[in-house]
Parts: sequence; C-alpha cells; structure tokens
Amino acid sequence: MSSKILILGDGASGTIMANKLRFLIPREDADITVLGNSPMHYFKPDGIHIPFGLKMPRDSVKPAKMLFNYGINYVQDEAVKIDVNNRKVNGKSGKEYDYDYLIIGTGDRYTPEDIPGYAESALHFYDYNSSIKLRDALNNFKGGKIVIGPSSIPYQCPPAPYEFTFQLDQYLRNRGIRDKTEIHYTYPLNRAFTIANVSEFVEKYFEEKGIILHTLFNVESIDAKSKKVNSLEGESVDYDLLVLIPPHRGQQFITDSGLAGPSGFIDVDRYKLNYGNFDNVFALGDATNLPVSKAGATAHFQSEYLANRIAHEISGDVYFESYDGAVACTTVTGPGEAITLYFTYERPPRANFNSKMDYLLKWTSADTYFSGMVRGIM
Amino acid sequence: MENEIKPNKVVDARGSFCPGPLMEMIKAYKEAKVGDVISVYSTDSGTKKDAPAWINKSGNELIGIFDRTGYYEIMMKKVK
Repeated sequence: MSSKILILGDGASGTIMANKLRFLIPREDADITVLGNSPMHYFKPDGIHIPFGLKMPRDSVKPAKMLFNYGINYVQDEAVKIDVNNRKVNGKSGKEYDYDYLIIGTGDRYTPEDIPGYAESALHFYDYNSSIKLRDALNNFKGGKIVIGPSSIPYQCPPAPYEFTFQLDQYLRNRGIRDKTEIHYTYPLNRAFTIANVSEFVEKYFEEKGIILHTLFNVESIDAKSKKVNSLEGESVDYDLLVLIPPHRGQQFITDSGLAGPSGFIDVDRYKLNYGNFDNVFALGDATNLPVSKAGATAHFQSEYLANRIAHEISGDVYFESYDGAVACTTVTGPGEAITLYFTYERPPRANFNSKMDYLLKWTSADTYFSGMVRGIM
Repeated sequence: MENEIKPNKVVDARGSFCPGPLMEMIKAYKEAKVGDVISVYSTDSGTKKDAPAWINKSGNELIGIFDRTGYYEIMMKKVK
C-alpha cells in the first residue's frame, strides 16, 4: 500500500525533505505532497552580501516550483490548521489533506510588531526586499553612528549579525568613510555571541576594528523621533542608521493548532525530531524549538536523518540513526577570508583560523545550494 | 532562606542549552508583575554566570543560586 507523505512549507526545509524522500522512496511506495505558496525561493545567506553590492539580488532567487524533483506533487496552498489526532491538515484554499506522515517545515516569521517603533526606524537584511532597502540606505550613508544587533534570541543564522558587521567595517573603509563612522554592536547576552569560544574570537575582532560592543541588550523599544534604541535592561543607544534583526516567532497556525505556545516554535524530540507521542509527525528547520541554530544547514543535516528514517520505515527496514545536533556555518571575516564552524549537541565549535578555502566555499554557496543541496543530491 | 520564598513562576529549562534558560527567564520576567519571584531550573552550567549578570544589569534582585539534585535553581525578584 502506498504511503501518503505530506510536507508543509516550500522553503529550504520542505524542499530539501521532499527531494531527498523522492530519491529514497520509489513512486509506487509513497505519494509526496508539498504545500507552499512561495513564488520564489530565496537563498537567505546572500542577504548579508547584497547590502554591500557584493551579490546581485537576481542571483539569489529561483522560482520555487522549479526546485522540486520529478514525482513530487507541489500544491500552491498554505496550511492553516493541523489536526494530529485525525491526521488531517486544512489548507487556506478550503481543501483538506490527509497523511500517513506529516513533516512540518514552515520555518518562522518576523514579528517587528513586537517592538514599538521598529517599523518606522529599523532596517535589516533578513529578506530579499529588506536587503535591497538596506543596500540603498548604505549607499546614501555619508558617516555617523550605525547600530547593529539582533533584537532578541532566537533569530535565524546566529553568526549573521557579526558577519554583517565585519563586512560593514570593510565596506566603510573601502568607501573612505570608516573614520567618520562609529559602529555599535548590541547583543542580548553578556558576550558577543551565544557560544563562548566563538564569542572570544568575535570580541577580539571588534576590538581590533574599533567596534563598540553593548552586551545584555535585549531591545524593548525604538524612539524613531529621537533616534534611540532602548533595551529591556535600561540602556539607550543613539543611532543614525539602525540595522536591527527583527524578533522571530514560529507560524501562527502552529500555535492555533495547539502544537506550540505563543512563540510558535514546536517542541520536538531532539534526536528523533518527532512531535510529542506521535511517531508520524515531525518538524525540522526553523520551525522547531531545538537548541540549535536556525539555519538552512540545520535543516539540511536534519533532513538527512529524517528522510532516511521514513524511507526505511516505509520499506520495512530498521533505522537506528538519529539527528546529533549537527550545524555548520561559514562566515566571511574579512577580504578573502572566512571561517567555518561545525558543531553538534555534544561537540562545541572551534573557531581556530580563517582560510581562503572557506571564503571560496561561502562565495559559491548559492550555486552549491541551488544545484545540489536543495535538490536533495548532497 | 529559599524555603521561605515561594516563587510566583517556575521556569523548568532543564535539558536546554545556553542561552535557552536565560531567554526563558527574560520571557518570564516580561510577563511577571513587579514584586514577583521567578525561579529557573537549569542544567546548563553557563546559566550560573549569564543569569546573575542579566539580573544585575537589569536592576533586579538575585535571591540566590541553589544546587539541587542534578540541576540548580536560580531565583530572582522583579523589582522594576
């Protein structure tokens, strides 16, 4: 009997999962349906480079439907309700979808409305249009005070704010206005990054480049009129240009379906990725509440385990592997240099050296992603 | 002393890695009223350093850090 696999979301998590499953399971053994309504699939890591003119936006997007392999039923619809007890999902179109396996890869959303003053004052580089808007703002910037930081934790791609800051420093030097610019970096913890040894590396770099660090800074509000960003901890910093990562939450329909609290992030088993007592409901990528980076690489590692597990189950085989918390990220640290961090639940990352190879890896990552990774080949 | 104080809110962040317990504490702080006592259970050793630093900077009161069996408890009072 053929199994019904239903995947929610057509971003990195949903697309990689669908393609990997299709490679592993013969068509007569399983129908694979993906619900999603994204016209374009955006390679988000390029958002760090677009504001500096280092990447052309058109190279960072592909039509979403072109990325699914043959034999996948891609439906332009959006899930609005999940009923895990009755194995049903309701779509925005009014259609109802049933399943044997449900995979939730609906990512997260930005909630600027959580911070008063955000919409009128802050810029960021976390989506396609915002990166272009920030590029234009930087292009018109002649000097002053730039404040950068995540407004709160969690946020996607934890190294992105400091990687952006490294590149901003170089960009301002190239334009000859670094000496007319103060760069301030705010972070919600009492260091520059979540992981202590990476933080040491980042703080050393900030010191060398004259970047001013404000720790324990959880953004509470922004006063657009007086151009001040205020923290929950009682500190205020003035700015001329504010680059603030918006707060993140999981999707509202996940909360409304009872699968998560107000944060919208789903609690799943950290090794098996299944939700609660259901061994046929899984979540991966940014949608989960796992203590791992919200990043495409996380979804990629998780999909490797999950696709194999489901394929083995459907074929009647056994599968004893699990997801070990693997995450990898490569960040540009300077001209021609980058660093790759790799870590798992049990193994902290080591930030030992910069390398040219990592830089090349980073610079070709959109091509690698669109031609291999998202297709389920790697 | 801790036995005399009953927290208004207990956040069980055991099993969660840094910065999970601290962010859970900040979330509970945002939802609490002035005068409320919040307890956070954690198994992550980093929280022992991070949570008091946050409590101090935000101008709140650290009641104590207590070793429990297999975890520890950080107790704070919201004063502002």
